Amino acid sequence: MENNEQLERFFDQMKKQDEHLEIPAFPEVQTRKFSFWIPAGLAASMSLAFLFIQEPAPVESEPPEVVIITLQADENQNQHFTIEETTFLDTWESPTSSLLSEY
Amino acid sequence: MNRSQLDHILKAHHRDAYLWARQCCSFEDEMAKDVLQQAYLKILEGQAKLKDASKAKTWLFSIIRYTAIDELRKAGKVVSLSDSYDPVEIQEEIDSTDYEEIIKHLPEMQREVILMVFYHQMTIAQSAEILQIGLGTARTHYDRGKKKLKELITKVQIQEGYGK
Repeated sequence: MENNEQLERFFDQMKKQDEHLEIPAFPEVQTRKFSFWIPAGLAASMSLAFLFIQEPAPVESEPPEVVIITLQADENQNQHFTIEETTFLDTWESPTSSLLSEY
Repeated sequence: MNRSQLDHILKAHHRDAYLWARQCCSFEDEMAKDVLQQAYLKILEGQAKLKDASKAKTWLFSIIRYTAIDELRKAGKVVSLSDSYDPVEIQEEIDSTDYEEIIKHLPEMQREVILMVFYHQMTIAQSAEILQIGLGTARTHYDRGKKKLKELITKVQIQEGYGK
């Protein structure tokens, strides 16, 4: 059996003295952990904002590149030139194709 | 273990934890408060995980001790292990009721084991776990610490007797 009476008395008195110590209140610890929801929320709101803010780009009409000049005869057999500007050709006839048939 | 369970454990041991932090910081109140705050942060941030809830106090004391060692090292107050084996001789006159001053004269490891066993009612095995040393080594610190503390108490009482 250990004889620790002297030490036990010493620590009992030390504890009694410590009863007068001011124990700090349990701290409200704010963890520094970076929450997953913060970046996720930021990303979601930024993508929503991007969708709403982005205006549809106006569709630019292409500049006419083709000029179609046709010679047409009216009911009095008067011939008129009609000039059309367009971006494409429905049909194309070689300007020299007539040479093949007429000569 | 979730945040509220951890909160509950920490609150239950808060008083003991503060007293232990103070004892690990050479009884300096402000440093003890800082150490305790840092230890709680480590726990709540998940840097230190409790695996066995039945060992909560041992686990908490261990975290506090290592946090205190880091703080003391930063403050340049760490005594090397070899220095800490020989007890500091009492030169000045110490009041026999100045328990903190008396116990400060014990070498570090002996002081810690003695405080854990006699003040915090822990076993030598629990002390060994907190100090992360073998049971045999803890027992040696315990025996030497006890012997030395008895000598110190007697010495202080004799000094006081002569002074009267």
